[in-house]
Amino acid sequence: MKAKFRNLAAGSALAAMLLGAGNASAETLKVAAISGYFSQGFGIAIMNGLKKAETDFGVELKIVDTGNRALDYEEQFNNIAKGGEYDLVFVMGWELVDALQKSNQAYPDQRFIFIDGVLDSPSMTYVDFVEEEGSYLVGALTGMLAAADAEGFNSSDEVGFIGGRDIPVIRNFLMGMEQGVAEQAEGVSVSSVFAGTFDDPAKGSELAMTLYGQGVDVIYQAAGPTGEGVLQAAKAAGKYAVGVDIDQCGTAPGNILASMLKRADVAVYDLIKGEVEGKPVKPGPVSYGVAAGGIELKICDEVADKIPAEVKTKLEEVRSGIADGKIQVKLNQ
Amino acid sequence: MTLPSDNKPAPDALKTQGMPQWAEQLIGQAIAVGISIIGGAVIILLVGESPLHVFATLLRGAFGSWERTAGSLLQATPIIIAGVAACVALRGGLFNIGVEGQLYMGGFAAAWVGFSFALPAGLHVLVAMAAAIVAGALWIALPAFFRARFGTNEVVSTILSNYVAVLITSYLTISVFKRPGGWSETEPIAPTAYLPQISDVSRLNIGLFIGIALAIGLHLFLTRTSAGYSVSAMGTNVKFAEYGGVSIRRNILVILLCSGAVGGLAGGVETLGVHHRFMEGFAPGFGFDGVIAALLANGSPIGVIGTALFFGALRAGSLLMEVETNASREVITVFQAFIILCVSAQILIRRRRDSTQGERRWKF
Repeated sequence: MKAKFRNLAAGSALAAMLLGAGNASAETLKVAAISGYFSQGFGIAIMNGLKKAETDFGVELKIVDTGNRALDYEEQFNNIAKGGEYDLVFVMGWELVDALQKSNQAYPDQRFIFIDGVLDSPSMTYVDFVEEEGSYLVGALTGMLAAADAEGFNSSDEVGFIGGRDIPVIRNFLMGMEQGVAEQAEGVSVSSVFAGTFDDPAKGSELAMTLYGQGVDVIYQAAGPTGEGVLQAAKAAGKYAVGVDIDQCGTAPGNILASMLKRADVAVYDLIKGEVEGKPVKPGPVSYGVAAGGIELKICDEVADKIPAEVKTKLEEVRSGIADGKIQVKLNQ
Repeated sequence: MTLPSDNKPAPDALKTQGMPQWAEQLIGQAIAVGISIIGGAVIILLVGESPLHVFATLLRGAFGSWERTAGSLLQATPIIIAGVAACVALRGGLFNIGVEGQLYMGGFAAAWVGFSFALPAGLHVLVAMAAAIVAGALWIALPAFFRARFGTNEVVSTILSNYVAVLITSYLTISVFKRPGGWSETEPIAPTAYLPQISDVSRLNIGLFIGIALAIGLHLFLTRTSAGYSVSAMGTNVKFAEYGGVSIRRNILVILLCSGAVGGLAGGVETLGVHHRFMEGFAPGFGFDGVIAALLANGSPIGVIGTALFFGALRAGSLLMEVETNASREVITVFQAFIILCVSAQILIRRRRDSTQGERRWKF
């Protein structure tokens, strides 16, 4: 009896060794992510990507919440980088850039990936979403609806745009939208305005009301919290607005036409996948546009059946046109 | 403000029999820390980690190497200074819950001097610190005046002024002094306005010594000077102090202004020593940590050095704990919350007991 048990034990030990050996040859990838926003829109998207990679590839995950004390950031980066334990470290949040760059100098071998922004450090990887492509799609959709006088689009041949501040990156949104309207919807024009701030929903609401008052039926906003006010105004005025960055359809169901999504989850998952499959992440910019699935225009479920089928078909053509390079979206810079 | 020395009651006359006061307090503090450790351990068990492993990592993160120890001291520095600020008021029987706001105003004023003027090294940093002190004092001036003149509750007015301070500095940073193209922060200050670092391995700077010197200075002032005695007398029993010839209104004004000035300096030391610029929302909660450290030390400035080091070590240790264990850094917040509960319970118990003997420790 005892001998039997011993055999069993030996057998399972052997099995464990074999299994262990199998794991070791694949060598578990260790990934850390550091940000103060894991509970908010964009951060949730990153988390989703990480979780999916965890289930699909068995990577080991470490989530570090920075909190909001600037004093802590440097130590937090150093604690992660010091052991050299993590293969990749995802970073999100502009307030972390200073500490990130210091840590990058102190630990040049640690691979950091900064999400959503262009940094001035050649040794770091940064993920940049091609917003102008998504904005082109927004322009195409809203322009076509206005031109076709679809339901809720009767009053004018103008579509609206509200930007946060007049800075290059927000200009890219506007340029993309204008190009989309010009090329896909003849006779429609864009009426644009900048709020001058990203933090003032009341101002966003006020500007949106003015545009709606002028007969604009839909407004695309790229204005952070200011844009929340635009979405609320769409509800109050009974008109349409288009969300940005994350799925904002639920903010004012029925009045949000679509959301231009930056798929941080796709980017994160994709980079980890590449790493697992032997295509390691390299320093420098990584662009995620329509082709890579990093940019997507999601039409809100609540309004999907109000959009004419031919508009949907045409939009899909435009999307694949951008994806395979037939349509080139110009940049502001 | 001077009291005839023969009017001084022997301190022991007001005291309870039995244990010496310091021993009683030390035991009280030990109970508070003990309960919070047990409470923290329960939380850690609930998230499926071993409390021993977590506490060991916490200790290693706080004192594991010279670098880590320096990190703990770095975290403790603003808490020491903010704690001394709170002590000044507490000892006079007043509550300055506005340290947070004074810290923000002081931090901004110091940074402003740092990036707006070109002064010789040495002088520049002194002027910047003076600006922080003045800004802190100015920020409490209104609540202090209202308290002294009309008896307005300073707890409410100082708390409210915190929000205003945070938002004003936010506005100034984003709309007036923002560094072009950057995050919500000002231009960096000139290197002539840096507080000297103690060593290269950490951002620890001589702000730590400033804090310790302030604490010792306040202790000496309270125990060795008659002006200090009149402050303590006020804190112990306002009626008695007034009877003894202390000008209460004047003292209230001066005590709160000094408390605010030290609070401002706490912010100045942070911007001049660590960040070298002002960032929007740069140090959330340090003012409150200071108030808690002062309460836990029962208003003793020397005690504040100890409690602030304890909080600093907790914070520094928690940064490593979060990376190396599955316990969230928020365990530390739970820890601190338990401590606050225990300390407020003690204050309540003491007040109830002492008030029957004609002594009233804090106002509420």
